[in-house]
Parts: sequence; structure tokens; C-alpha cells
Amino acid sequence: MSPPLEDMIRRFASERRYAGVTIERWLGLDAPDGAALLTLAEELRLGENQLRELWEWAEDIGDRDGRQLAEVLALEPIVAARRQRVGRNDKLKLVKRALRRLRFPSLSASEDQLANLIRSLALPPNVRVHTPAFLEGDEVRIEITARTANGLRRALASLTDAASSRACDEIFGVLENWT
Amino acid sequence: MASAATPPWLPEALWIERSEVDSSLAHRIRARAPHVPVEVADELATAEQVASFADGKRRLVVQRHRGTFLHHCPAGTSGLVCCNYLVVNFGANCPFDCSYCFLQEYLSNNPALKVFTNVTDGLAEIDSVLQAHPQRTFRIGTGELVDSLALDHLTDLTLELVPFFAQRTNAILELKTKSDHIDNLLRVDPRGRVVVSWSVNAAVICNEDEPGTADLGSRIAAAIRIQDAGYGVGLHFDPLIAFDGWETGYRGAVERIFEALDPGRVAWVSLGSLRMTPRLKATIRTRRRNGQPLSTRLLTGELVPGTDGKERAWRGLRVRMYRSMLRWLRDVDARIPLYICMEPAGVWEKAVGWVPSDREVADSLVGMH
Repeated sequence: MSPPLEDMIRRFASERRYAGVTIERWLGLDAPDGAALLTLAEELRLGENQLRELWEWAEDIGDRDGRQLAEVLALEPIVAARRQRVGRNDKLKLVKRALRRLRFPSLSASEDQLANLIRSLALPPNVRVHTPAFLEGDEVRIEITARTANGLRRALASLTDAASSRACDEIFGVLENWT
Repeated sequence: MASAATPPWLPEALWIERSEVDSSLAHRIRARAPHVPVEVADELATAEQVASFADGKRRLVVQRHRGTFLHHCPAGTSGLVCCNYLVVNFGANCPFDCSYCFLQEYLSNNPALKVFTNVTDGLAEIDSVLQAHPQRTFRIGTGELVDSLALDHLTDLTLELVPFFAQRTNAILELKTKSDHIDNLLRVDPRGRVVVSWSVNAAVICNEDEPGTADLGSRIAAAIRIQDAGYGVGLHFDPLIAFDGWETGYRGAVERIFEALDPGRVAWVSLGSLRMTPRLKATIRTRRRNGQPLSTRLLTGELVPGTDGKERAWRGLRVRMYRSMLRWLRDVDARIPLYICMEPAGVWEKAVGWVPSDREVADSLVGMH
């Protein structure tokens, strides 16, 4: 790693009070990987924990697919997320989502399937359906928010309709069969 | 005459606690490893620093155990279906160096392998528990912190354990191993009270992630001889690893094993998914073996955190793996007692179709259906 790149990494990391062990690990990367990580970190103004999470996923993807870290961060879904003209927090969410999809492909496919089915229930905005984190469970949690009696009645009516729909059976079918 | 295909492990250095120098175990090990340098110490402080976890696996400490020998299996975590297993530790650390082994975290600062001289104290402790609960049948295993057979050529531990359990009516001893060192076992009669269990895996995992162990073929060959000698044989497909090609790999292992073994004389088969704490993952990520990373396939599966803090393959994937394994095993013989290790009721229900109580699992494994 060239001295200027090393200085840039040290400066960025110390400004954000990164732990020494993280900085040393970063400096231990090949130059293209270290530089790619710095570009991402600067672009998204990453705190240490945020960087470590994205880095670990990118590294796992690289190990699995035989790619360098810089190559993973240059994959189209990541680049597409980084190109979006949105604020820093939204962009971070998009990048994280894109990396997560690459890191957990079959889990993401099941989550997408469930999200599509839940969307097809056409529930009003005050009714939210929560599936377990990482699908590590088989319970669905329903959250209703109401400020009026009519609002509550409308929510319950839409839920009753949704519960008798085929999509509802399919949601639990996905959670039951995990196929 | 030794019949194992795998070379027996010998330490590069031997430490003996001064008070134990004249113990029969110390004499036996010195006689069987005559060229290994010996250090005798009042306190084993000299053994405390080693350069790496792997270095610790080349040293052997002979010492007295202070504390209790018998414990509940730590797999009995709240929220998980448990088989009420007890573990007894007559040593700690293992000469094998499996890529996924939890000892890399659990014994990360351990400077050496340890074997304990006061085996009779441990047996007395077991005896008092068995006598206090004559109505219960216990399953007790020695393979938690060290492979049950890997050091037996040095210690002769099984020559004490097997006759002890052969005389008990309310306990079954499980010797859990990845070795093929069974010569001592062939010299004693288990009288139906001992099960020798092999941890097995897809051949590629055995070959690449379990250095020092007997290969799958050698484990099967040893299991055949053990079955013929009157022992029960157990199999632990644990950890199941969701590597690319797992279906072919595990189906191949099941077929290969049961082409050779009599399923009617298999005491039990367990299934368990790879489990990793964040710290174990970090350790595996940083360790090197012959200059190479330990294993990438362990780290790159779709592992997600569970409620017990351990990461496993995400639930849909591991349920699929359990269902596949159960189908292949039931195709062999539907009567083989099967259980899943360290999983919540929901996974049992999805994989097996019902949720047993802890007691039901335990009873089914000791033949009390």
C-alpha cells in the first residue's frame, strides 16, 4: 500500500475514532482493496461498525466467489445503489441491501417472495405485517395503528379480507415449507 | 497389534505435575512415548504460553483434575429441544484440528492437551449419581472437550471406562470420536452398555476440514469392527455444512456408511447444523493452516444469528437439509433412532413433523420408547 493511501486511510479512520485493530486490518489489505474500501467509506461517511458490517459481507462474498474485495464493491448491484441520487442515509440503506442480497441469496429470495405476497394483500398503511428477522422463526406479527374507531374498523375489515385471501395461505405456506 | 489406518498422535513435549509423577497414567504415557522430552513442575506455569492454538495441540499435560467431572451437556440451552445428555471430562483439548471446532474459541488460551490422573475420582462421581437415581437411565459421554479415542493408545482410559459401565444397569456410555483407534475396545466386553459414535460428514469435509482425523472410509471400517464386537454404534452428522454440493456430499456419505453398517444395530443418529459464535468466526477468519486460510466454506454459507447468539444456516436452508437427511436415513431404515441437536421446537416441527419433549428424546435414545 502506498504511503499516500495509507495516510488517507489513517486520517479518515482516526477522524472517526476507529479502533487501532480495525485500522491495522485495513492497512493490511492489498492496495486496490484498501482504496476501494476507503472510497466507499468516504462516500457513505461510514462509522466503524457500519464499515465492518459491509466489509465482512463483501469479504465473505469475495471468498465465496473468488473475487477481490475491490471487485465485489464494483459489482453492478453495488454500483447501482451507489449511483442513486438520494441522501447519505438512504444510500447507505441501498448499498447495505444490495450487499446483503449478494451475501444471502437464498434467504433474500424467500424474503422477496414474502414481501411480494404481503404487498399483494393490499393492506392500508396503518396495518403492517412483520416477518421474523432473517426468517429465523415462523410467526408473523401484525401491527395496527389507529387514531379513530373508524380507522380501527377499516383496518380490521381489510385484515379480515386479507386473512381469507389465497396470498395469506401462501405467506404461511412459504414460512411452513421453506421452499 | 495396532490396526488403525491413521497414525497415533504423539506429543512433542510432555509436562507432568510433580504430585502425579508416580501416577500409573504418567508411567504409562512415558513408557509409550519414550522419546518425548518430559518436564516435571509443581505448577504448570511453564506450559502457559504457546505461540498459537495449534502449538498447544502438540503438548500434553498430565495432571490431577480439581473440580467436578460430570456436567450437563452445554447443548441443553434454554429454548432448544434437549436430549438430557451428561458429559464427563477426563481430559481437555484435542489433537485433531477441525476447522469448525468450538474449542478454538472455548480453549483459545489453552496451552496444551490435558489428561487427568484421577480417573477413579471421576468414576466414583458417576457411580454416586447412578446410585442416587436408579430409576433413570443416563447417557454419559466423554467426547465433549477431547476426542474419546484419540489419546487412548497413550492412556488406556477405555480399559477403565468400558468395564465400569458394563457393570451398570442404568447408564450408557458414549465414546464419541473421529479416529479409528479401537484396539483397546476390542479387548473388553461392553455387555450392551457402550455406544461408540463416529462424527461423520461429507467426504470432502472430512478430508479438508478435519486434519489429523481418520478419513471417512477408515471410520466406517472401524465402526464395522466395533459393531461386530458387540458395541452399539452411533453416528453424528454434525456439523452439517451448507456447502456448494451438500446434497450430493451428504447423500453419498449416508449411502457409503449404510452399505457397510447394519442399520438395525445403530443406536442413534444425530443431526446438527453448523453453529458459530461471532468470536469463533473471527478466530476461523484469522487462523492459517500451512499458510492458507482455514476454510472459506464455513464462513461463506448463509449463516444468520439465532436467539442463542449463535449463527446457523438460515432456517429455511437448514430445515431443507434436515428434511433431506431424514429422508435418506429413513430410506435406509425407518427404525433408526434420530434426533436433532441444538434446535428450537419450531425447527423440529418443520423438519421432523412433531416436537418431542426433552424426556421423550432422551428415552427414545436409551430404548425406553
